[in-house]
Amino acid sequence: MIKALQQTAIRRDLRLRQVKVMLAAVMIAVATVATINLFAGHLQQTLLQSASSFLAADRQLITRSTQPVAEQWQQAASEMGLKTSEISQFSTMLSAGGAFQLTSVKAVDGDYPLRGEIEWQSGLQAPRQMLQQGPASGEIWLNPRLLGLLDIAIGEQVTIGETELTVSGLLLREPDSSFNFSAFAPRAMMHFVDVAATNVIQPGSRVRHKLLLAGDENLLNDFENTVQPAIDSGDYRWRDARDGDTIGESLNKAENFLLLGGSLAVLLAVVAIAVASREYALQQRDTVALLKTLGLTSSAIRRLYATRLLLWGVLATLAGLLIAVPFAWFLSAMTAQLMAQPLEFSLQIWTLWPALLTALLVLFAFALPPIDRLRKTPAMQVLRSLPQLDKGFLVKDSVVSGLLVFGLLWLFAGELKLVLSLLAGLSVLMVVLLVFGWLFVSSVRSFKGGSTAWRSAIVALHRHKRATLSQLAVFAMTMMLAATLVLVRSSLLADWQAQLPEDAPNHFLVNIAPETVDDVDTFLSSEQLQRSPLYPMVRGRLTAINDQPAKEVALNPDDDELRRELNLTAAASYPDDNKIIAGQWFSEGDNEGLSIEQSLAESLGVTLGDKLGFTAGSDTFSARVTSIRSVQWDNMQPNFYIMFPENGAIKDLPTTYLSSFYLDPVDKSVLNDFILQFPTVSVLEIDHIIERIQDIIQQVTQAVEAILLLILLAALAVMVAVVSATMSERQREGALLRTLGAQQSLLVKATMLEFALIGLVAGILGVLAAEVTVWALQYRMFGGEFRWHWPVLIIMPLLSSILLSLLGRWQLRPVLTVSPMLLLRRLE
Amino acid sequence: MSIDRPTKNTDDCMIDIQSVNHQVTPGGQPLQILQDVTLQIQRGQSAAIVGRSGSGKTTLLGLMAGLDVPSSGAIYLDGEQINCLSEDERARLRAARVGFVFQSFQLLPSLTALENVLLPLELAGIDHARQRAVDLLQQVGLASRVNHTPRQLSGGEQQRVAIARAFAVTPRVLFADEPTGNLDSQTGAEITDLLMTLNKQQGTTLVMVTHDDQLAARCDRQFHIDAGRVQTQ
Repeated sequence: MIKALQQTAIRRDLRLRQVKVMLAAVMIAVATVATINLFAGHLQQTLLQSASSFLAADRQLITRSTQPVAEQWQQAASEMGLKTSEISQFSTMLSAGGAFQLTSVKAVDGDYPLRGEIEWQSGLQAPRQMLQQGPASGEIWLNPRLLGLLDIAIGEQVTIGETELTVSGLLLREPDSSFNFSAFAPRAMMHFVDVAATNVIQPGSRVRHKLLLAGDENLLNDFENTVQPAIDSGDYRWRDARDGDTIGESLNKAENFLLLGGSLAVLLAVVAIAVASREYALQQRDTVALLKTLGLTSSAIRRLYATRLLLWGVLATLAGLLIAVPFAWFLSAMTAQLMAQPLEFSLQIWTLWPALLTALLVLFAFALPPIDRLRKTPAMQVLRSLPQLDKGFLVKDSVVSGLLVFGLLWLFAGELKLVLSLLAGLSVLMVVLLVFGWLFVSSVRSFKGGSTAWRSAIVALHRHKRATLSQLAVFAMTMMLAATLVLVRSSLLADWQAQLPEDAPNHFLVNIAPETVDDVDTFLSSEQLQRSPLYPMVRGRLTAINDQPAKEVALNPDDDELRRELNLTAAASYPDDNKIIAGQWFSEGDNEGLSIEQSLAESLGVTLGDKLGFTAGSDTFSARVTSIRSVQWDNMQPNFYIMFPENGAIKDLPTTYLSSFYLDPVDKSVLNDFILQFPTVSVLEIDHIIERIQDIIQQVTQAVEAILLLILLAALAVMVAVVSATMSERQREGALLRTLGAQQSLLVKATMLEFALIGLVAGILGVLAAEVTVWALQYRMFGGEFRWHWPVLIIMPLLSSILLSLLGRWQLRPVLTVSPMLLLRRLE
Repeated sequence: MSIDRPTKNTDDCMIDIQSVNHQVTPGGQPLQILQDVTLQIQRGQSAAIVGRSGSGKTTLLGLMAGLDVPSSGAIYLDGEQINCLSEDERARLRAARVGFVFQSFQLLPSLTALENVLLPLELAGIDHARQRAVDLLQQVGLASRVNHTPRQLSGGEQQRVAIARAFAVTPRVLFADEPTGNLDSQTGAEITDLLMTLNKQQGTTLVMVTHDDQLAARCDRQFHIDAGRVQTQ
């Protein structure tokens, strides 16, 4: 039909400021969501692969009984095309000559490890090597400590059960070693096929079998589904690289952050789109009235504008995707380089659907309603300016779009509570804003003194009360969202940094006999190494609660902590990152009482004042709970379920000590000397784990920062949209003032001052709201306490003030560069 | 070419207004704009509606053209009672039979002169629209400015484009709201001549609101409107 309108106007209207803002916002929303989706997929893949080395596989299927993993599952996995490896772990005595030593043996097949590497030495003084295979059949690798304990050398034979194996090397580190002080017995590694000949595994032996699996993510999921019944029946446990531990935590937090960021970017874009589209609709009223006068029906007008919007939307969406793909590729390339992994970036079209859904929703829920109402413009408008029927967003629209945004956020953040708290925060902010905003515009007149520019700015603020209020609301919201993100990012990073500072102890010394403590200290200080406090350790079982057998009265009698020996310790003070959540820590000189970890207390159903009884060797002792602590298990520091006062119940029991120190990777050879000198002390090397985690954290940090950049761009788009929305009025006034003889500098100063004031107030309100939101979010997602973030509190309002005054100045440009005559004619 | 449509009655009356009252309530206060207006304009006639600012001229013009409906009374345009039609039906009627010229020209700023003239032609689905639009622009003396946008044209030139647009579909009736109101007297006179010439050529009924006594004097009939009441002269 109306070709000129459909083709030419679509193209020409693109030059309109409002249309540009609207499309830029759609573009940013699409680009952000698409980047996050594309990159998060890749990031997850890379991180999982990296985390997989901690399992020596992508997944583990672990038996709960002492039976080996059933043949059918191995077969099923192989048939699906997954790589598999079978391992068994058990404790047994090794002997050589006359010496015996309890050893924790890991038997591995020829495919072990599926992921990661084994660190190995051919002799105590030999260089360390990274291997991708375990010992051959007939051979055994020993922890260096075992050489000393059994008093043998490389190449000699050790007896294990009914067979003899040749010691062919030293096992320094296996990829899937658990970071657990209860793994006390030193480790030895042998080949899986030799296990049967040892005859050490008898019915009732404590043995754990694992099937390691690696391969394509989809295949792994398929296999998980296949094996699910066996997992559900309790025969097996399924382990994923993201389960528990620091890495899983970091990954989850980062993903939460990315999604939260994405939702905020969409929210910001939605505000920009709503403002710009309303502005565009206002601008189009005369056109619509004329078209009606010329005989266009309202349905034709609706079609006309819907087509236009659709076309623009498609364009903006494509542009957004065009930005997202290279951006995501760039981020992926960066992370791949950082993790020293090959770049495997594939563009999967289906991962783009959330971006497309976003485009569709923001366009049709926010851009369309005001434009669609254009068809109701009275034709009489063509003859005279009529009161505006379009009051922006109507109640119905607000409800519909509110629900849609809610749905979208829910979809992205995947967590109902998060979305609800975000939206609740925003609603509270709106109410507070209206109150404070009203107070601001009402009281602003009383600051009337000062220069002419100041007075004009104040008068303008007061005169445009409504506009001032809505600007204030939008800017404060923008500031709040941006500040929330900045704050969450810094607390997320600080959280991670605090968890693993650069010089976090990366080597643990376990099993230090009391009489060797001084020698160990001398050794460490001669190497200029700083050790952390010594903790005495007594291995004991929790056997009684309030003089009743613990297994009978515990809330959860199957608790693992009731079945195994716990590491009991005594200390004058608790570790820095523990928190006392009930009761009181021991005072000096206390010799009664104990402190228990929170989750264990909950699982046992133990509260303050309860009496716990323990058995250690032949000794029994008991103490009452005097405090309950929360413990950061994922911080790679010594942590304990049960702590006694220094002169408490375990004071006189036979004990060994635990300590830790930081060793620079280049000084690794110090360990050889240490092991030679102290053969009975176990050295737990966790430097690789820590390094890996630090890598991952750095990588996630970069991702988080890149996304933050996109979101700040969205915030900027909102600001431009809102400032330009009120600009035609301002331009008219400016032109009039210039005609009446106002100087350019006065106009500039007054406008900049006006916006600076709005920016300042909005900044302050926004940042305050952000503090509250961050506190609430942290509480839920990241775990943390409320504290003021002074730098942000000061910088954000100033930044918003400067940014807005510059935006105002920029928008005033047409008024300043053209003669007042021309201006008035243009603005007619 | 011409547009031929059956009409309900075949008398010579193009516009027939019967006892029309119109009142609006801006800000809640009822305001009587038109009071008991009755008038007829014959086919091919030119009529001027004159009166002071705020007397109700423009409202009357809008009602005649079906841009709005009166509070009470009946309005027949080209034999159809337009106050009983829906907004869309009125729009369709305008597309086929009515042309407009406005004081502020009302050209679409994003379209060129040619595209502005093409607009009603394409709306009415007329063949060879482009050629006809070019011809019309030539007729109003703008052959060399077909591809200029309204911003690049002077007020007089813009009004010529608006006149070309108004006559493009050979309307049976042309409504003009202060067509020379925004122009200097010299240009105003040229525009008046153009309007009158095209009006005679096409046999269109012309209804215009004006302050300009000279322009009013050139019309077949004048209606004076004062405080919403019409006196015929």
